[in-house]
Amino acid sequence: MKIQKLFQKTLFGVFSLFGLISLSTSVLCIYTVDTHLSEEYESNSKDIAKTIADSSVDILLNRDLSALQSLIDQFVEIQSIRYIYIADEEGEFVAHTFVPGVPEEIRTGDRNNTATVERSLPGMGDFVEVGSPILAGVAGTVHVGMDTDLIALKIQRAIGRQVYLISIILVVGVLAAIWFVNLAAKPLGDLLAYAVTLARDRDNGADDTLLARDDEVGQLARLFLYFSEGVPAEGEQRVSSGNDG
Amino acid sequence: MRTITRRALLRSGLAWCAVAPWLKPLRADADTDAGQPAPQMAPGVTDTEIVLGMSAAFSGPSRGLGIELYRGATAYFDHVNEQGGIAGRNVMLKTYDDGYQPAPSVRNTLKLMLQDQVFLLFGYVGTPTVTRVLPMLKKFQDRNFFLFFPFTGAQPQREPPYGDFAFNLRSSYRQETAGLVDNFVRINRKRIAVFYQADAYGRSGWAGVRRALKHYGRQIAGEATYRRGTKFTASMRRQVEILKASQPEAVICIGSYAACAAFVRDAVNLGLQVPIANLSFVGSENLLKLLTHWALTEERGNSEQYTRLLVNSQVVPSYEEASMPAIKEYRDLMRRYNPQPPLELLKEPYLPSEHSFVSLEGFIDAKLMVEILRRLGDRPERSQLQQAVFTVQDFDLGIDERASFGPDRRQGLQQVYYTVVEEGRFVLLDNWEDRFA
Repeated sequence: MKIQKLFQKTLFGVFSLFGLISLSTSVLCIYTVDTHLSEEYESNSKDIAKTIADSSVDILLNRDLSALQSLIDQFVEIQSIRYIYIADEEGEFVAHTFVPGVPEEIRTGDRNNTATVERSLPGMGDFVEVGSPILAGVAGTVHVGMDTDLIALKIQRAIGRQVYLISIILVVGVLAAIWFVNLAAKPLGDLLAYAVTLARDRDNGADDTLLARDDEVGQLARLFLYFSEGVPAEGEQRVSSGNDG
Repeated sequence: MRTITRRALLRSGLAWCAVAPWLKPLRADADTDAGQPAPQMAPGVTDTEIVLGMSAAFSGPSRGLGIELYRGATAYFDHVNEQGGIAGRNVMLKTYDDGYQPAPSVRNTLKLMLQDQVFLLFGYVGTPTVTRVLPMLKKFQDRNFFLFFPFTGAQPQREPPYGDFAFNLRSSYRQETAGLVDNFVRINRKRIAVFYQADAYGRSGWAGVRRALKHYGRQIAGEATYRRGTKFTASMRRQVEILKASQPEAVICIGSYAACAAFVRDAVNLGLQVPIANLSFVGSENLLKLLTHWALTEERGNSEQYTRLLVNSQVVPSYEEASMPAIKEYRDLMRRYNPQPPLELLKEPYLPSEHSFVSLEGFIDAKLMVEILRRLGDRPERSQLQQAVFTVQDFDLGIDERASFGPDRRQGLQQVYYTVVEEGRFVLLDNWEDRFA
């Protein structure tokens, strides 16, 4: 049936369009959220490392190390930060949050390096570690480890929420399109049925409902009836225009 | 009978007129029947009570510390109250449970200071809790809040910037760890490893050991940590393995009884046969109870194999030393009052120890607290507290050391005692060589 095919094509077109929009929006959204959140987590961790480094100077120089430990314990309560360690100028770990001990990789690593590094610690997971020097590095360094799995999970959640919204819009859009196409296709279907009936039974096939419509379908119905009754001589009767009511 | 002459009457009248203007203010303070409004009492003080605020661990794996400290203090306060109190006022302890966690401790302190308006803070338990509370004391310094005799030997409440807001009675962890290191080094056990709680308390002890070893040109041989709140049922195998790899000749534990008992258990089971020292905070009797009970229930035979290498430092004398007046009084009053933990704070059953170093410390803390409150006179004021503490000089508490305070001395006692387990109880260690060499 032609109408059905037309309907299918329209629907396919609408669905494809919506799908394309959703896909491109989702990809862009994933990229943007992933990039921004990753940068934000790293930036926050750097800020935390710097805050600890700034606060540590006085403690390292004048106070007991328990005050330093108390300070980093407060920061490690922040989600996604899994460990913090502070090494003094000689590289000794003067405060840290590791249990049951400082991992081998960190113990043997370069503690003066404050560049961002990725670490995979056995039994603990994968981390992005940022660092900050204390008193320009002459008093030691602070290192903050972020759990990449936890960050990935958070990013996935943020992305998931956005994609979920886009998916809902896609489904609602497709359903609305189906409804609208259906709305437009139904009179055409009726007209086709009418035309078939009229062709079979010219005398009794007239459909008053269709003939009474004031849209293009009504005009076509009246035109079909006109043709079925035989075309009059030119000028005998003019087919009423679309604006004649 | 003596007759009053007109001249004598006139003389006394004139004398009264001369001194009356100066006497009036004093009378206004003392006499409330003369139509003058009664002067306001200090917060936390009523005609019948002086209220002290306490936040401590009454739940969780370290609850034995808060409960025993409370029991010891209560025994003495009950005794004082029964004797008529301090200037007719009973000493009351307003208690909250913080489970040995910093955040609840801060909330409790705010409640005690602002809502309950206690007179002073007394008997807090733990370093991670106290270190978070100290900034609040500084914040409210205009209200003259002081923390008395916290159950911790950490440095933050002993030195600037918060040292001015606390008074300590017990020796510091620095003194305890230095004493342990000195003795171990003396008996040629120089490779010393540290097992510690991963928080401010553990770090404080770790720093003490490190500092003491530095004095001998040595470093900590190995270190392993555990999380605060670890139970006795937890495995300490990894920690033991880490320390074993460092081949220590002695281990100093800076923890609370549940985790330290678990460490001792696993260390012995894994063949780490070196002296294991614990600081006073550990709660020696609870540690011993756990090890003894475990050895019995697991059919490990005599618990002696788990306790013979233990050496625990203490900051009060042994409660077995009944020759000391304060120890005798402690034993008598603990028997007489048998103080129970605050029922409203108990979340799980607790079997109190008849005597313990922790309850003895609470008792001695209370004894000195009462003396300081007495020195405040009939009208206690927070603003007078510090001055009252500084009048405590060479004060006899009834133990083998006298307490003194001053502007540069905010810790009353300095002595550290060392104890070992003999016949199922802690006794003073008299010879390190014989025991561990």
